[in-house]
Amino acid sequence: MPENDFDVVVVGAGPAGSCAAIEAARSGLRTLLLERGPFPGSKNMYGGVVYPRILDDLIPEWWNEAPLQRWVTRRSTMVLTDTQALTVDFRNEAWAAPPYNGATAHRPEFDRWLADHAVAAGATLLCDTTVTGLLRGEARRSGRVVTGVRTDRPDGDVTASVVIACDGVNSFIAKEAGLYGTPNPKDFTLGVKETLALPRQVIDQRFGVRDLEGVDIEIIGCTGGINGGGFVYTNLESIAVGVVLKLTSLAAQTTRPEEIIARMKRHAAIAPLVEGGELVEYSAHLIPEAGLRMMPEMTGNGLLIAGDAAALCLAAGIWLEGVNFAMGSGRYAGQTAVEAIAAGDVSQRGLRGYASRLSDTFVLRDHRKLRRAPELVLGDRVQHLYPSMITGMAERMFRVDNPSPKPGLRRIFREERKRAGVSRRALLRDSRDAFRSFG
Amino acid sequence: MIAACIKSIDDRSTHGLSPADEAAIEMALRHGEATGHTVIAVTVGGARADRGLRVALASGVKTAIRVDAPNDTESAAVAAALAPVVAHSATVWCGDYSADRGTGSVPAFLAAQLRRQQALGLISAEFVDPLRVTRRLDGGRREVLRITGPAVLSVEGSIARLRRASLRPALAAQSAEVLPYGTTVVPSGKTSPPAVRPYRPRARVLPAPSGATALDRLRVLTDSSAAPEPGETIEAGPAEAAARIIEVLRGWGYLELAE
Ligand SMILES: Cc1cc2nc3c(=O)[nH]c(=O)nc-3n(C[C@H](O)[C@H](O)[C@H](O)COP(=O)(O)OP(=O)(O)OC[C@H]3O[C@@H](n4cnc5c(N)ncnc54)[C@H](O)[C@@H]3O)c2cc1C
Repeated sequence: MPENDFDVVVVGAGPAGSCAAIEAARSGLRTLLLERGPFPGSKNMYGGVVYPRILDDLIPEWWNEAPLQRWVTRRSTMVLTDTQALTVDFRNEAWAAPPYNGATAHRPEFDRWLADHAVAAGATLLCDTTVTGLLRGEARRSGRVVTGVRTDRPDGDVTASVVIACDGVNSFIAKEAGLYGTPNPKDFTLGVKETLALPRQVIDQRFGVRDLEGVDIEIIGCTGGINGGGFVYTNLESIAVGVVLKLTSLAAQTTRPEEIIARMKRHAAIAPLVEGGELVEYSAHLIPEAGLRMMPEMTGNGLLIAGDAAALCLAAGIWLEGVNFAMGSGRYAGQTAVEAIAAGDVSQRGLRGYASRLSDTFVLRDHRKLRRAPELVLGDRVQHLYPSMITGMAERMFRVDNPSPKPGLRRIFREERKRAGVSRRALLRDSRDAFRSFG
Repeated sequence: MIAACIKSIDDRSTHGLSPADEAAIEMALRHGEATGHTVIAVTVGGARADRGLRVALASGVKTAIRVDAPNDTESAAVAAALAPVVAHSATVWCGDYSADRGTGSVPAFLAAQLRRQQALGLISAEFVDPLRVTRRLDGGRREVLRITGPAVLSVEGSIARLRRASLRPALAAQSAEVLPYGTTVVPSGKTSPPAVRPYRPRARVLPAPSGATALDRLRVLTDSSAAPEPGETIEAGPAEAAARIIEVLRGWGYLELAE
């Protein structure tokens, strides 16, 4: 048999793909990183915050070189009704100094920077090249095995010992390999985002930050009748305003996503933040939302799946973390390929180290811990009843109704629960679920 | 040798080659195939501009050369940097605008630097001998030109679509060497660009204006109130009409240079 063109072919130069390629190339493997866009990150959008802790040992002091916008030092969670807002606001100055925590970043810049590290490590990066299928052969012991990929270029087949699919949400490679069941629209949300340009000082003033500090606001109750959530993030000279909408719920009605964003932007709590911003970008992307429930099998013979392609994005209400899960799983996939190639066994068995790496680290542990969260957060009660109950309680607590005396908290709670139409049983069940999910 | 001069942009909002620059690569390659000449690609810019050159290499360009310069170098300086590199290329193909919406003036500056003919904003080209090209003019008109000597040409993006590189050449191009300017490029043959200057009709000798005073003479020279020379309508066969037109043009002094 002629030698393979490469040891490892990585499909997709997003955070998962570049990290897989860095690991493989640094171990001396002949690594090819294929990207369909004209450059890494050109096709990628997201809300806006990355948590690069997982890069600490891969790119030491990444914070000195990564193209980041602002360090997130304020995290707010906002509960909205049409006319009210209750915000829990946390500020931590330590997050604006090494080793930092999260930062807003533009994906075209961030993804390119990561891919440059893969190239520096010796990987070959080829853009403008779409993978259109898997090459397969027969191995004596393991049966059918992936032997490479077919691309859309003339004479475009490339062979490799291991293919790592990092082709993002709704991975066609994972599907072609038969690792996914039929996709269920219930498991996806649609993320829609507007980027609004504003002068730097205006952002500093409106969001109460200085220098390179930034804000991450997660919002619930801002998506009208559609189940979902919203966000506002600060970049250096722009803000990202968007919503994440449950696909089935969006499809069941006629309001368009841009109208939902427009309505959110008109809310009294949001309008002063976004006023005067010039729309410079509008984008939309699917998010694999269902976590553990929708994850495919992640290894095949000669094949590993990482990042959104494996539905590893953590979308659990106040957490929307996909990039770090992509980088983590990409790294583990790269390490597993190195190990399997060295051992001369790239069968599913030979690649089983991947499953244990995912299982033993934050990648699957967080998902397991938060497995009930997506359903809970996107459930009808959290979406449509609790916001009104919570803001109603706040209103009663702060309202001065003289000459009536202040009502007790327990009474407010009972009355507001009833007014919002929440049964005691449902509330108990949800509290238990919330405690289990987040506790 | 045939050269394609391209500009590869690399900032946050724009990236890569313009359709016009891609078309320039394609036209240079087709021209090379038609004439058997080697095709080179040249850019003036920072290291990031190598990406554009690699696109050219993947598509079949033999040599890629980059003259190191800041990305915001102005057109005249870019042309001055390009000139020595493409001096031995009989035909230089450029795009008529770059991905960052340049003015399209580099090819014109380059033609001036090399003292060559130029044909800018081409929308078609036929690889016959001599090269036949079409330019877009105002009002939907076209100008068809025959290019006989060394020339600088710029093309609109619509003229051709860059061929899709096969996988192997595309891979090879990622690791191919981009020559920094300074490396000697061996010329393929001797070409001596002719001196081409803009056309200027020769001065005609006019009889001195008549008039008693200076003011009168000035009036004779400048007065438009005098009845203009009536136009002449010729009703004749093509040969006879052409002969009359030539006679009149000669009378006006327009054909002296050609003769
Ligand atoms: C609106 C929205 C907001 C989000 N907010 C956040 C956030 O704030 N923080 C966070 O951490 N995460 C966020 N996420 C999630 C995050 O964007 C993803 O989890 C992350 O991008 C996954 O990385 P990846 O490398 O797996 O896939 P991707 O980033 O999707 O990269 C896949 C790459 O593969 C390429 N590709 C695909 N198919 C092919 C093919 N056939 N051939 C060649 N190349 C191919 C694509 O062009 C792309 O470059 C958000 C997502 C959305 C939609």
